[in-house]
Amino acid sequence: MSRTQTIWIGIGVVLLALSFFAQNLLPDYAVRVLTITCINALLVASMAPANGMTGVFSLGHVGFVAVGAYAAGILSLPVATKGSMLPDLPGWLAGWYLSFLPSTLVAGCVTAAVAIVVGAPLLRLSGHFVSVATLGFLVIVNEIVINADSLTRGARTFTGVPLETTLPWALGWLVVGLIALGRIASSPTGRAWRATREDVVAARAIGIETQPTRLSAFVLGAFFAGIGGALYAHYLGSFSPKSFLFAYTFTLISMLVIGGMGSLSGAVLGTVVVTALSEVLRNLERGMDFGALSIPPLYGASQIALGLLFIAIMILRPEGLLGPREIRFPNARSPKETTHDSAAP
Amino acid sequence: MTLLRRELLLGLAASLALMGAALAADPIRIAAPFNVTGGLSSLDAPALNGAKLKVAEINAAGGVLGRPLELEVFDTKSDATTVASVASQLVGGGKLAAGIGFTDSDSALALGPIFQKAGIPFVTPGATSPKLPDQVGDTMFLACFGDNVQAAAGAEFVRDQLKAKQVFLLRDNSAEYTTLLAKYFEAAYVKAGGTIIGHDDYKSGDKSLTAQITKIKAMATKPDAIYIAANPDDIGLVVKQFRQAGVMQPIIGGDGYDTPLLLSVGGKGANDVYFSTHAYMAADGTKPIQAFIKAYNAANKTDPENAFAALGYDTVALVADAIKRAGSDDPAKVKEALAATKGLEGITGTISFRPGVRVPDKTATIIGVKDEKLFLAAQVTPSFVPAP
Amino acid sequence: MSPLLYLTQQTINALAIGSLYALVSIGLSLIFGILRMANFAHGDMMMVGAFATLLLVHAGVPFGVAVVGGVLIGALAGALVERIAYRPVRGSSDVTLLLTSLAVTYILENLGILIFTSSPQNFPLPALLDDVVSMFDGQLIFTRINVLTLAATGVALLFLGWFVTRTTMGLGMRAAAEDLGAANIVGLDVNRLIIVAFVLASGFAGLAGVLWAAQSGVVEPAMGFTPLLKAFIAAIIGGFGSIPGAVLGGFLLGALETMIVAFLPSSITPYRDAIVFALLIAFLLFRPAGILRVQGEAKL
Repeated sequence: MSRTQTIWIGIGVVLLALSFFAQNLLPDYAVRVLTITCINALLVASMAPANGMTGVFSLGHVGFVAVGAYAAGILSLPVATKGSMLPDLPGWLAGWYLSFLPSTLVAGCVTAAVAIVVGAPLLRLSGHFVSVATLGFLVIVNEIVINADSLTRGARTFTGVPLETTLPWALGWLVVGLIALGRIASSPTGRAWRATREDVVAARAIGIETQPTRLSAFVLGAFFAGIGGALYAHYLGSFSPKSFLFAYTFTLISMLVIGGMGSLSGAVLGTVVVTALSEVLRNLERGMDFGALSIPPLYGASQIALGLLFIAIMILRPEGLLGPREIRFPNARSPKETTHDSAAP
Repeated sequence: MTLLRRELLLGLAASLALMGAALAADPIRIAAPFNVTGGLSSLDAPALNGAKLKVAEINAAGGVLGRPLELEVFDTKSDATTVASVASQLVGGGKLAAGIGFTDSDSALALGPIFQKAGIPFVTPGATSPKLPDQVGDTMFLACFGDNVQAAAGAEFVRDQLKAKQVFLLRDNSAEYTTLLAKYFEAAYVKAGGTIIGHDDYKSGDKSLTAQITKIKAMATKPDAIYIAANPDDIGLVVKQFRQAGVMQPIIGGDGYDTPLLLSVGGKGANDVYFSTHAYMAADGTKPIQAFIKAYNAANKTDPENAFAALGYDTVALVADAIKRAGSDDPAKVKEALAATKGLEGITGTISFRPGVRVPDKTATIIGVKDEKLFLAAQVTPSFVPAP
Repeated sequence: MSPLLYLTQQTINALAIGSLYALVSIGLSLIFGILRMANFAHGDMMMVGAFATLLLVHAGVPFGVAVVGGVLIGALAGALVERIAYRPVRGSSDVTLLLTSLAVTYILENLGILIFTSSPQNFPLPALLDDVVSMFDGQLIFTRINVLTLAATGVALLFLGWFVTRTTMGLGMRAAAEDLGAANIVGLDVNRLIIVAFVLASGFAGLAGVLWAAQSGVVEPAMGFTPLLKAFIAAIIGGFGSIPGAVLGGFLLGALETMIVAFLPSSITPYRDAIVFALLIAFLLFRPAGILRVQGEAKL
């Protein structure tokens, strides 16, 4: 484990410890913004392996978030609520329920399983075709969720999921996700991911099979997308098919792109930047009064500003604020060690 | 930055209030989160405009309890996580008498637990799922009837007055409102002795229903009427395409039809269309309604886009009435007063809450179209209302 | 209704909707052919064209002139987007191009909401165009707008065919589609070619927007998104980058959507889009070059 990794893990543990106090000391609003930032950061980081590192740019990631949210919702709904909310639930699902942690884990596994089935064919594509095809996956998930009434209530709001996602839980999962993704990204598997992005032929020449390599990144990302979806479900307690469609897709992608596609610290940075910017602009766009000068509300201005920032990044820093790099801490004892592996956190 | 400044200002205002200096002019704050942008904005924005209009009228007439009303408007972007953040920002950002907002369950349910915990009553003008208040708790109120009431009213009208024995049921399957409306209609219509001879779906955003329409035309047994659960954005096109295809049976639906688009896009295709809604809102309606339409047009340079504009207007009336009866802007007292609302005359009908039921008992109005003009077809209090 | 009439009517329905898809996907394919760019903002040029037409009509301009004006403004908007947002990222990776266009569509839609609000607005249509043509005792019907859309698609296809084979500019475009770098080296003004391509593509989108609004009766800021998704499917089925492929794909998609609703039981019809997208994925996997077997580079 490199020094940088050790420091990051240390920071994560300290923040996690602090979060237990923060949730009681900070105003509820700040706690909420931090919690949703952690959930979104986990989701954005889970896009990094496939979208950033292997170069398979999926637009369907939110489809996995939906699978995770619905799986966790169905599993953790108390039995009595199940009876009134989902009267047509198949018997094998109706009579029992799981608590928060197990339902989250199962949701992650279910989502990963879906990713194996979906990814096997889709990852044979590349470039814009894989993007359009994964967008298709998103539409397909949406339509199945809308029509699978007995499991999902169709287009009606799915509600009654216990509100369990607290700041320590969200941050805890973010730390776990980042450690897991970071360890794998700096392992031979992670180097293989990047090799398939840089040069498929060269990668094959040294024995890296494109398909299974990309699939591993895709499935790992989907697992944490499922976890993130479960956290989302337990955070709001209610959601519907349209919660997981193009708008959310755009939000997550803008976070990933602005932070830097191939990097986990970039994913976190992008999420923080976009969330902070949106929160500030959301309050500014309500209009202002400077005595004589009053600016009328311009609802939607915050989205336009976000879009402009997005384009500016594409033009000026197409690899995002951090690009493929990670934020690193120089190693005092042996400075050379940090240079050979450019992407390890 | 601004947040800090706002907090400072609020703190300042609060201390001033304590000194008793500015108490009289201190506004009564009402939270008003709405989805002004994003997928739901075509429904939420008119509701907010209606609410703003009523607040302006009340303030022009001297306010409530001698204090002006102030809407704390936030755009929640049609995103439930933003709704939750805004809700806690509102709850933590100074005293609120009550909150109003939203036209969909997703947003109301994301906000609900936060306002419930803070004990602040919240009235939604347009989230018409009748289950909503019970899903949240004793702080959540609807200003409109539940979809089960209007669907049942539509069903009885179709069965008893149009004498239609068999109906074809078409719905937009992409929205909660249309899904619920279709479900409740079917339950009430079958109960009333009618038969549903076929179902079909479309998706809001498809601008062609010709394939579905041709299918209905080719059916061996012809429906006596067609019930279509549609959103306001689509309804003009829906009736127009049915009529262009030569399907002339009556078309019936819910308050989604209550938009000028029904006549402007539907044209003469809108003839023989009937819909259940909150009140007869046409230009030849009652005096308050005519005044509302005129004032709305003056403020927004357009006629009310759909029924939510009038519901937003009445929601503010409902909250203002409760504050007045509570004699205070204390949210707990406002909540009690809201729950005890009896016979409040709004432009969308008379609002009363039965004890423990936070969905008002309102009579559904059935409006018809004849010679490209709206007319009041019936007032229906359904005898059977499907369970929410 | 006899089965034959039923089939005929559904075929008319399929042609009507298919011609709209085709008109949108032509421009999408044209841009893809030259720049290898999946342009998500293409649908927003429909919105621009339709709103511009509406504003002109409200300003008292006769309908026909307003349509021409709307199409021109749509074309201009496309050129502006190219100049401001796309040219600086030209030559970047597929993903950068795609994401830039995604950001443009996000900005334009929100700008539309800011200016026009998101409530749909009535699109006034002259009575002449709104008429219905009815045959066999009303058993077969179509509208004048359907005919007009079909004709517009045909004219667009013929015009583009003529343009790319008979004009210097068009030949240059084909050269650029073949190899953008080489076209630059042999002295073609690539910037100009690309601007012209955007003007053409966005003009067609603007026209499609007007026809779409005429058919649906309303204009709204988000109106371009659904047609854009359909146009992507159409273009890919036909062979992304090929103009005839885009047209063929548009009609096939229209036929497929219509026939799913027309002939499958109502328990399956709600899955229409899922079926269509599954088919799209199948195409990408097993016949990525589309029905017309567009080869790696040969385009237009």
